[in-house]
Amino acid sequence: MREARAVTARRVALSAVGLVVAGLFAFPVYWMVSSAFKPTNQMQSTGYDLVPTSLTGEHFASAVGKAGFGDALRNSLTVTLVAVLFSLVAGLLAAVPLARLRFRGRKGFLLLVLVAQMAPFEALLIPMYLMMRDANLLDQMPGLVLVYFAATLPFTAWTLRGFVQGIPAELEEAAMVDGCGRWGAFRRVTLPLLGPGLVATSVFGFITAWNEFLFALVLFQDQSKRTLPVWLSTFQTAFGTDWGGTMAASTLFTLPVVVFFLIVQRNMVAGVTAGAVKG
Amino acid sequence: MTSTIDAAVPAGGSPPAPPRADDGRSSGRRRRPLGQALTPYLLLAPAVVALLALVGWPAVLVVLTSFRKMDLGELVRGELVWTGFDNYTTVLGDAEFWKITLRTVAFTAACVVATLLGGLVIALLLRQLGRVVRTVLQVCMVLAWAMPVLAATTVFQWVFDQRYGILNKTLVLVGLDSFEGHNWFATGPSTLTVIGILVCWQAIPFVAFSLYAGLLGIPRELYEAAGMDGANAWQTFRSVTWPTLRPIVLMMTFLQLLWDFKVFAQVWAFRQGGPNGESTTLPVLQYLKGIAGSHFGVAAAVSVLMVLVLLVLTVQYLRMLVRSQEVDL
Repeated sequence: MREARAVTARRVALSAVGLVVAGLFAFPVYWMVSSAFKPTNQMQSTGYDLVPTSLTGEHFASAVGKAGFGDALRNSLTVTLVAVLFSLVAGLLAAVPLARLRFRGRKGFLLLVLVAQMAPFEALLIPMYLMMRDANLLDQMPGLVLVYFAATLPFTAWTLRGFVQGIPAELEEAAMVDGCGRWGAFRRVTLPLLGPGLVATSVFGFITAWNEFLFALVLFQDQSKRTLPVWLSTFQTAFGTDWGGTMAASTLFTLPVVVFFLIVQRNMVAGVTAGAVKG
Repeated sequence: MTSTIDAAVPAGGSPPAPPRADDGRSSGRRRRPLGQALTPYLLLAPAVVALLALVGWPAVLVVLTSFRKMDLGELVRGELVWTGFDNYTTVLGDAEFWKITLRTVAFTAACVVATLLGGLVIALLLRQLGRVVRTVLQVCMVLAWAMPVLAATTVFQWVFDQRYGILNKTLVLVGLDSFEGHNWFATGPSTLTVIGILVCWQAIPFVAFSLYAGLLGIPRELYEAAGMDGANAWQTFRSVTWPTLRPIVLMMTFLQLLWDFKVFAQVWAFRQGGPNGESTTLPVLQYLKGIAGSHFGVAAAVSVLMVLVLLVLTVQYLRMLVRSQEVDL
């Protein structure tokens, strides 16, 4: 009896610890969202209020209406989506032979991808800047697109290779026996089965490019060319001490990432360990 | 669709891919037409060209630049001025550089240790929890993990705000009156501590999830056996849990080292390396020298020195990956 009670007490204690830890992780996120909805006079008061007593949408209106938000959103979306599309195409083209075909130098190519993945991209800031300057790509969308393309490509190729390997080659062979050509077999059998892999991989690429700060800061000096992270980092000049507006903007910036993240969370741990997402 | 293998193979004049077993390889003859032999290289070409041009060439260029004098003047005139090791002697002879290096190493070490310990404790905790609490904790951690770095940085600035920040208010509420109006960004160490907390907060979930996945792979029988042998909790951990976790912990340590050493966005967004450069780390120095100060040669030397440190770590990490067969080449 006493033992059973001790076990229960232990259980309750552990659950309490678990909830406290969960609270610590969730609090900044909660605080961002709740501050975004809190009226300004409640934000800048000395009163103590963990739960807002009234809600307002005015901060979202002011954040969206703030100079540069529309531009930054558009720039971020353009650069991110184009870069992800590029690396998806090039990555898939590379993944198929690396997973399926035998040819001389295969290991060398694999190693190249792996080394490129581990390369400290941040340390290439200076040459990248000089290259883009020489190519007249400073303050130009294609410049940043190329950087994000290169940053997401190794991971994309590597992960897609894993997904292709997961599809039994026998399926393709059966289709070819049935009269499909190599390309036809790939298009009708492998490609549809790769769907989830393509989604997961492009989401990783999206998150990487969407969050990137250093190169966006350096390669786009022109105010109208800023991406969302850079725009957000300058809020102190853009907003003064408008914390409500800042939190609303942060919330909007976070939303797509969290949604995407929840979709692919299951693949995340395995993917990252295999030498993957940049921190 | 319904044709069987027997019917299709003899009928087809077109070459269906032979089953892998009797591929040309096994008989030692290669009679693939040239076009087919080129296919893999053609498919790889876009990726390889992109990687060589956008990662390989910059990697060469950073080394070349580090041996040049390249300030704004040289850049505008397009001059090539080779100066040998001048940039390195400048950088290495600067006491400030060593201070910043030491600071970066200390910051990295503190973050990595805290992240690994936090992740380990939470992974062990996850296993003990009931389903509901465990799910709640996992969802909360995913939120922290998923949050974009810049959004997280902004929120932390708000939480740590001097006048209206919730942290100072809370500290005052529990009786620590000295924290009223406390400025967390008044000194370098204090600023870096806040940045470190932010970095760990976002990094712990990944480590915890990875270690938890490792824990789930340990057969329950091992624990039962340890229990029957009368092992206490610590002995069980050492002889059952730790052997499984050790390789994962090692891998996580390397990944975190690589990542935390390069942290730029958070440091820059908080106080731009301030106050008075007291929270400047090596990546920030690289930016300040190169982009802000237009001393590209000196900045490239800083980059190369950073890469050397990272290279040692990366090679170790890759060797470990290949050996653990996480990566089969």
